[in-house]
Amino acid sequence: MASSAVLRPHRPAPTFRSVGRSLLLTLPMALWSLLLFTPSLREPGRNAHIGAAVVILFMTSLFYMMMRTGKTSRWRRIFFVTLGVLFPVGFIASLIHLRGSMSISLAHMVGGDTPFCHMVIPMILIPAALTRTVIFPGSILPTATNPHSIAVMIALWLAFTLVMGKAWCSYGCFFGGLDEGFAALPRHMRIRKLDARLRLVPWALLIVVALLSAALFEPFYCRWLCPFKTITEFAAVTSLETAIQMVIFISLFVGLVVVLPFLTRKRTQCAFFCPFGAFQSLFNKINLFEICIDREKCVDCTLCRTTCPAMALSAQSIREGKTLLNCMKCGACVDVCRKNAAVWHLKGTPVAVKPERARLLFLYGVWAMATMLGGGIIANALATLIGFLPLS
Amino acid sequence: MRAKILPVLAYMGAAATLVLAALTPFVLMGYFSRLVAATGIHVDPVYTGGTVARTLPRGAYQIDIYSPVLPHALQHVDPFVQIAFRPVSALPTHFSEAIDLDGDGQPDVQVSFTLPANAKLRPAGDVVALNGKYQSFRIPVAGSFSQLMVEANGAMLLRVPLAEGNQP
Repeated sequence: MASSAVLRPHRPAPTFRSVGRSLLLTLPMALWSLLLFTPSLREPGRNAHIGAAVVILFMTSLFYMMMRTGKTSRWRRIFFVTLGVLFPVGFIASLIHLRGSMSISLAHMVGGDTPFCHMVIPMILIPAALTRTVIFPGSILPTATNPHSIAVMIALWLAFTLVMGKAWCSYGCFFGGLDEGFAALPRHMRIRKLDARLRLVPWALLIVVALLSAALFEPFYCRWLCPFKTITEFAAVTSLETAIQMVIFISLFVGLVVVLPFLTRKRTQCAFFCPFGAFQSLFNKINLFEICIDREKCVDCTLCRTTCPAMALSAQSIREGKTLLNCMKCGACVDVCRKNAAVWHLKGTPVAVKPERARLLFLYGVWAMATMLGGGIIANALATLIGFLPLS
Repeated sequence: MRAKILPVLAYMGAAATLVLAALTPFVLMGYFSRLVAATGIHVDPVYTGGTVARTLPRGAYQIDIYSPVLPHALQHVDPFVQIAFRPVSALPTHFSEAIDLDGDGQPDVQVSFTLPANAKLRPAGDVVALNGKYQSFRIPVAGSFSQLMVEANGAMLLRVPLAEGNQP
């Protein structure tokens, strides 16, 4: 049984490639980072220079370690948790700079100053298809006070989704790093038995939220259920209704993002609650990259199943050599498998024939996108943090 | 045959995702954004106030009267008409005018407000309905999407809710 498998502490990273080959494989990503962040280095402002330089080094170093050790999730997680921790820092600082508060007032909403977030996308689809109306108080094109406009964020999500499918949840989402971070803190699971039906909750929530949003003509999840309102922005508390919303946001954040990940070592908000995650799972069907189990090597130790932070492996799926639809492609199962039975796979090619080639193709695309979005967010947050330091 | 073609197609697809990733920040982001905007989607008029129906020039400033916004069946918002006074910087400190909202030549509401010297304070005044079509209220108002007075995008926005008997 999965719960009987004890999670062992990470062993030292085994050498997978030579330094020279690893550097050679890292070179394109180093150049990519330089290309992306050179404009920031040319702009005036020391803090932005430091932020950009640190991010270039950070993203390139992590990619190098992925090449050198052959492990993916361990290094990805450092980036992803950093992104999850620093995103609120940069976002809140920018809100306070633009409007003086984390809370959003009616004036900002009617002025189109609400930043658009990817979580809204499943909720706006039905009303947009039926009436061409976006039920969100933002602006379609970027403005001086709202660069995160609806068209820009949808475009960004579309590009990411085409490249990485559900891997968005492990490389692109600027919220997911928080519960992954809390899930990584304890050495052992406090709660071992989790009902497999929990996987269905995000799907149920997706249907309910999409239908309610279309019926009420408002982004229902954002108004009532989003845990991340606690650390980003929220409607100013001006009535009993907004006060209740605030209590719900904080309770969900503490429960799903902090406490339950710590107790279960699972990404509980992402795997068992997030309706956007369920929506994003659909794109795993069209994405070319996946993780497979090589049945010839698998010894059914269930370590992969225990380790998976999203419960995206079941006994049956392992028997069939596949992950479930909700696989976030974090690579934790591949990293932990001692028999090299869990492998990266390019659909249409034979399973386990050239898994490293599939991994490389996946990583180049996904890390390029992660550097663009996540790297930019980290650089911005670092520049903000440095601005708070009492430096001469 | 299929076993030979599929891997080739798969590697071509993988190469295409790499090209997509490389082009996104420099070319495709702008293209995708324009594509989204070109679909003709617009933000719900409950948030934007809808479209301007008439403009009343008043010298240094103007008054834009918007078409009535009629929310959807289950939406928790009352129908309203938005009025925009712009630019705020050109508005008189004390404003009072009877405004024709529906364009029938008869004034519908008497709008009076005083702009505070301190920009952080909110305007004070009232909206008095001159017929049964609209609702009266005092400014500042607690605020909802159908009844508010706020400054946004360089304009003072006023939303006057339709009277209950006059709602569709």
